[in-house]
Amino acid sequence: MSEYDVVVIGAGPAGYVCAIRAAQLGLKTAIVDKEWLGGVCLNVGCIPSKALLKNAEVAHLLRERGKEFGFTFENLNLDYGTAVKRSRQVSDRLVKGVGFLMRKNKVDVFMGAARVTTRDKVTVTDNQGKVTELTVKNIVVATGASTLVPPGWVVDGDKVVTYLEAILQEKLPKSVVIIGAGAIGVEFATIWHSYGVEVTIVEMLPRLVPLEDEEVSAELTKAFGKKKIGVLTGHRVVSVQATADGVEVKVASEQGEKVLQAEQALVAIGFRPNGRGLGLEEVGVKLSERGAVEIDERMATNVPGIWAIGDVTAKLMLAHVGSAQGIVCAENIAGVETITLNYEFMPRATYCQPQVASFGLTEAQAKERGYEIKIGRFPYQANGKALGLGDYTGWVKIISDAKYGEILGAHLIGPEVTELLPELTLAQMMELTPNEIARNVHAHPTLSETLMEAAHAAEGHAVHI
Amino acid sequence: MPVQVLMPQFGESVVEGTITRWLKSEGDAVDEYEPLVEVNTDKVDTEIPCPVKGRLSQILVDAGNTVLAGTVLAMIAPESESASEMKQVLTSLDNQAATEKMELSADVAPPKKPATQPIGRTSNLGFISPVVSRMAQEYHIDLSRIQGSGLGGRITKNDLMDYLEKHAEGSPISGAIASLPQPAQPTYASPVPGQVLPLTAVRRSIAEHMVFSKRTSPHVTTVMEADLSRVTAHRLANKEPFAREGTSLTYSAYFVAAAAQALKASPIVNSSWVDEAALPGGGIRIHSQINIGLATSLGEGGLIVPVIRAADGLSLLGIARAVNDLSNRARLRQLRPEEVKGGTFTITNHGTSGSLFATPIINQPQCGILGVGMIQKRVVVLTDERGNDSIAIRPMVYLSFTFDHRILDGAIADQFLGKVVELLEHFGP
Repeated sequence: MSEYDVVVIGAGPAGYVCAIRAAQLGLKTAIVDKEWLGGVCLNVGCIPSKALLKNAEVAHLLRERGKEFGFTFENLNLDYGTAVKRSRQVSDRLVKGVGFLMRKNKVDVFMGAARVTTRDKVTVTDNQGKVTELTVKNIVVATGASTLVPPGWVVDGDKVVTYLEAILQEKLPKSVVIIGAGAIGVEFATIWHSYGVEVTIVEMLPRLVPLEDEEVSAELTKAFGKKKIGVLTGHRVVSVQATADGVEVKVASEQGEKVLQAEQALVAIGFRPNGRGLGLEEVGVKLSERGAVEIDERMATNVPGIWAIGDVTAKLMLAHVGSAQGIVCAENIAGVETITLNYEFMPRATYCQPQVASFGLTEAQAKERGYEIKIGRFPYQANGKALGLGDYTGWVKIISDAKYGEILGAHLIGPEVTELLPELTLAQMMELTPNEIARNVHAHPTLSETLMEAAHAAEGHAVHI
Repeated sequence: MPVQVLMPQFGESVVEGTITRWLKSEGDAVDEYEPLVEVNTDKVDTEIPCPVKGRLSQILVDAGNTVLAGTVLAMIAPESESASEMKQVLTSLDNQAATEKMELSADVAPPKKPATQPIGRTSNLGFISPVVSRMAQEYHIDLSRIQGSGLGGRITKNDLMDYLEKHAEGSPISGAIASLPQPAQPTYASPVPGQVLPLTAVRRSIAEHMVFSKRTSPHVTTVMEADLSRVTAHRLANKEPFAREGTSLTYSAYFVAAAAQALKASPIVNSSWVDEAALPGGGIRIHSQINIGLATSLGEGGLIVPVIRAADGLSLLGIARAVNDLSNRARLRQLRPEEVKGGTFTITNHGTSGSLFATPIINQPQCGILGVGMIQKRVVVLTDERGNDSIAIRPMVYLSFTFDHRILDGAIADQFLGKVVELLEHFGP
């Protein structure tokens, strides 16, 4: 029997970061995961999908824009299997990196299913059925979330799949119906479409990426339309049925019902937190109706010594938010100086083509809250670097408070915009205004110049438009 | 490299100001913090101090013009181009935030006196963000009083918002009035018969408020008289000690003190009518704090009502200091916008100009206003315990209380006014 200051359950980006920070602060730490170091993110989520998206970008360039760039081919052969293998190598490499970090920080790793038996005991059952009991002062729950599958839908992993099968499969369907136009939906739409798959994306809400600013949704819909990706927004999925040679997805809208046929269907309508089945309720930890572990700003649950971070808290199901929560949690356990996270201003990145990046309030939300706002905009069409890249769809939109200049949100769609957020989120955190961003000299030619120009525009004096 | 002088925003609702008078001419040398120009808004008259030491190189808005907040009024050529000041000037150039920050540091302090807390430039406050700086400027907040909750103790916008929320109903009145400058006599051209006088912002604002008030509340005035023998005696005995504290003990202080205690006893008078438009079903809002406005005449410059906050919590000395300070600065046109906001009751001392009693107009959205007449020695009939009458000469004053009949009925109003009389007649330690 081993004794620990901290045992983290779940080794995803929230859990392993928390474990490292706890160990750095001198706490004796262990981490438990039933399957993966690095969690969904490193193994079957964020990371391998980015590898596939890079392939998709190249595939799209070669297939659709060879002529424009001056490449011609006799027999262009796109081997999707190799793309998937490459994505696995990327994942494996990072997962090994996490293992190395655990050793470096002297965090003990236990692979197996964890269960909280009392407030200070965690049992780990490995796949041979061997049980290890850990005595612990602090338990950090970081068990993540699972794909939400409505009752009556059967995910068979072959014709009806979730992100998990979709990211690992080496075959490409001829046609696919993607249910849900959030980040996962639009990213897989981008990957598959680039490889020539006939894609239809179905969303119950009236627009693509429905949590983003309305103008972003409109721009993305336009871009998808140009590529001939089928978009059915405002359509509710009534049923998903596997057939002999594929799937039938029945959808309903105000115009009535119709049946979509395809080789595969991807269910990507959301996630539900993995708060149940760990013994938490038995020791008195409060869970929400959805099964999320309820926490305060310190990441503490209602039971002293039990903490929770990441997707299982259902704050914002994003890896970087989980990691940030993990650091705050470890610092609170150790009792050192920390910060309070403002979930409203967390960056959001979606790697469809064109990319979408945002943080803070949408224009509609800012107005709802009664702000008098200033909007600074700048299009990529007027940015030299974007023209050089041949990738100039989209724009930057910065929303600020007209009165004090506070940056309330920013919404970007276009080339590599996910890389451009940090300047804006840093500015927001330090309560700078568009004036400081505008006066911060940006290197030329870069995509980041669009931020400077949009900030100038917010101040009423854009230069290059 | 010239530095801009901007028209500041004086308050949430005050977005424009009128240039009354330039105190400096083009080419004049000006010191940092030296008053540069007088501006006038519908709430206050004030002076804008010079942001840097230098020379007034250009006046861009002439006297008499009304411009929006943020308008560039003038350019100052800074005197020194030494390395350190150069840097300061560079940040100011075309940099509104920085310019405003510098104006602020001057704005919170009286002219020619060093700023008690030059915002954004003190080292011990750490990094002050542009957003916090702009807000502090608008609300004239001494940032050193705020506990920062951000990384490394940084004062964040939220800290400022929390502070404002907690102090929304009035900050402590600062004491210590050292030798104050004498109020300057405003110069006005005497009106010529047959001429139509243009309306000043203050005149127009008073007109609007008066008509609005008469239209809004059914005004009723009740009058009582009070024997000020004890007040007079107390004042005579305490004038000297108060003067040694640098405070002039005025009769106004006694009336404010009595009104504050009477309001405490009758909270319904310290209230506002709430329309159905503002609150379903309407209501009467009882204010949580007793903030007494003191109508102060600015002669032909109109009238202004600075507010003594939480008056019920102040000693007579505290009230006297506040009355001195506010009325002095009102006449010097140096009131800050928040010092004329948030009143819950008003006193007008029309007796100072010889009036015996008057029917004042309610300062909306308050419930009532107390008019104080001239203190006059009058012959009164006194009755002793045994019922014997005698004639005496006593310092008497008529108190007229105008109230909103939607909120109060006569009997309640008289009860309140009776309490004021009682407090004055029995004044004493």
